[in-house]
Amino acid sequence: MPVDQELFDAVRQADRDRVAEAVRAAIDRGAPVSSLLMNSMVPAMREIGDRFAAGEVYIPEMLMAARAMQAGLDIIEPLLGTSDHEPIGRVAVGTVKGDMHDIGKNLVVMMLKGSGYEVTDLGVDCPVEKYEEAAAGGATVLCCSALLTSTMTYMEQVVGRFQKDPAIKVIVGGAPVTQRFAEEIGADGFAEHASEAARVVSACLAGE
Amino acid sequence: MSSEGDNGMERLYAERLARYTTAMRNERPDRVPIRPFVAEFTARHAGFTCQEVTHDYDKAFVAARRCAADFDWDAVVSNMVYVWTGLTQAIGMRYYGVPGIDVPPDVGFQYLEPGEGEAFMKADEYDELIANPTAFLYNVWLPRVSSEIVPPGAASSYRSNLALVKGAMAMMQYFGAFGTQNAQLRAESGTVSAIAGIFKAPLDILADKLRGYVGLSMDMCEQPDKVLEACEALMPHLYHVAKTTADPLQQVPIGYWMHRGCVPFVSPAQFDSHYWPTVRPIIEELWRHGHQTLFYAEGDWKHHLESFRELPDRSIVYHVDQADVFDVHERLGDKFCLSGGIPNFLLSHRPAGDVREFCKKVLDVVAADGGYIMDASAIMQNDTRAENLRAMTECTREHGVYSGSPSSPPPAPIVAEGSLPAHGGSTTAPGQCIEWATRAATLPTIEGDADLVEEVWNSIDSLGNVFIWQWLLSF
Repeated sequence: MPVDQELFDAVRQADRDRVAEAVRAAIDRGAPVSSLLMNSMVPAMREIGDRFAAGEVYIPEMLMAARAMQAGLDIIEPLLGTSDHEPIGRVAVGTVKGDMHDIGKNLVVMMLKGSGYEVTDLGVDCPVEKYEEAAAGGATVLCCSALLTSTMTYMEQVVGRFQKDPAIKVIVGGAPVTQRFAEEIGADGFAEHASEAARVVSACLAGE
Repeated sequence: MSSEGDNGMERLYAERLARYTTAMRNERPDRVPIRPFVAEFTARHAGFTCQEVTHDYDKAFVAARRCAADFDWDAVVSNMVYVWTGLTQAIGMRYYGVPGIDVPPDVGFQYLEPGEGEAFMKADEYDELIANPTAFLYNVWLPRVSSEIVPPGAASSYRSNLALVKGAMAMMQYFGAFGTQNAQLRAESGTVSAIAGIFKAPLDILADKLRGYVGLSMDMCEQPDKVLEACEALMPHLYHVAKTTADPLQQVPIGYWMHRGCVPFVSPAQFDSHYWPTVRPIIEELWRHGHQTLFYAEGDWKHHLESFRELPDRSIVYHVDQADVFDVHERLGDKFCLSGGIPNFLLSHRPAGDVREFCKKVLDVVAADGGYIMDASAIMQNDTRAENLRAMTECTREHGVYSGSPSSPPPAPIVAEGSLPAHGGSTTAPGQCIEWATRAATLPTIEGDADLVEEVWNSIDSLGNVFIWQWLLSF
């Protein structure tokens, strides 16, 4: 049961203005911002993600819901820094070196943010060094995206770099990437689509 | 080459053309035609970098011809590395990542999707697009996609004027070179140029080049009627481009490059309300004029195969990318020729034996009754292994032979009156920029042969139309 039903409904129904109003109203009432995020907004996005995985909603609805959630996050995020909120995990997401495609990567960023993770968007054309910087900055899960068979092989280099570091997990995904490929290069996880990324990140962090 | 050699090559060309067109009409030729969509692979095979074939189309042409000759394929696209950076540099095109400049020299060019707030058309500009798509492209879109060209009202500049002149002349030069390239493919290796002409769906054009995918997704939720109106306004123009660039002999199909019109990029309801109703009439109209369309179904369109069945038998060739080729065969094989379906991952990262095994299965099942063209799923880049392409080719020659007499392609359909609105909602006819009536109003009464003056005006004016619509669709 969400703490703030109005906020939960507003995110779920992708109503940007209502989300912002609900967040402001809750803050005015003295609601803890961390709880608003984790107990109302994240469950709403999780529901959207589950419905996407079940084939009941599609990317446009996910985008709309994520944008609505962002309207709330814009208000909440500055306040989270001053609260005792700890994100459920720190994740960095990038499209690998040589690949400039970012639609899939952007969807993953949105869905992970919607799941309550602190997400660093590394952008496109990311060499191993960018993932190293993200790990040095506190990210414990690194997500690699690629659209081309000619660039997906670079993921092996990212995986190889962190293979001996049990604290860092590397997850791969993108149109040409398969479970089999992920296993062959030794990735810690594979997400078939954006909404699955949060589940895979969660499983990695839980050591599954 | 001796005339006997010439005749031999002509015979080979005729044999391959018959094989290819018979399969495309969903009939059974003498054997399964091989028509690989090889892009940057050609560079690797010919010893060039991606940078070389993207910057120098002569090298790209040489590479395509060398591949066609060395692998002895039935048909190829005469240059699948279609972006020539001489052309894109001429106008300072912003939306390509270019080898050697934006990506490493041996990575293929890539389309750069603008960020949500940086789309080349804004959410409140639908009415302007709908009123006159051609004028919108020149006045609003071109100055935004070009780093050089200034919009109407801004001070004219040396660089802007130069960009327009260089861009137009470079485009003429490039298109002109394709005629020679196709003739050389035919004369040197008897290879058929696989496609002619270009089509894209109105909704894809809005997503790819105008609003961006994210922007369009928002518009589909917030102003769906405007999006539909824009698609309808684009229809006659996109039809015109497809029709006027198609093969006049009606032998090879028009390339239809399908991007994000499928689930989950759109919902099934959006496909039904926006995507399909603004594509289907165009495909039907092209077929009424004898032109097949090659559906390059990028991604997985499995949710929409029933819609495609609404099209007339044989009107399309359906290219299978990430979908299961066996499933597509079951659901579409009785109506249309299929091509592709050999996974690129297999061709790039698996041993030749695996390729051979998969191809054999496709030949046994999908190609059993004809109506199949051997090809990879997606356009092949420079990660494709040559030995795997040889395995695919040899396997087809070995196991793709049909017994008995080959069938002959059925005649082209009878041309009938179409159902497309002539102008959509726009004020300028497809194929024109400034119509004769507008021009004539500025002239004194014409003496002598007024028709000649009008004819020449229309002919030259149409070049302006070709320029802008080709930028939108082909580059």
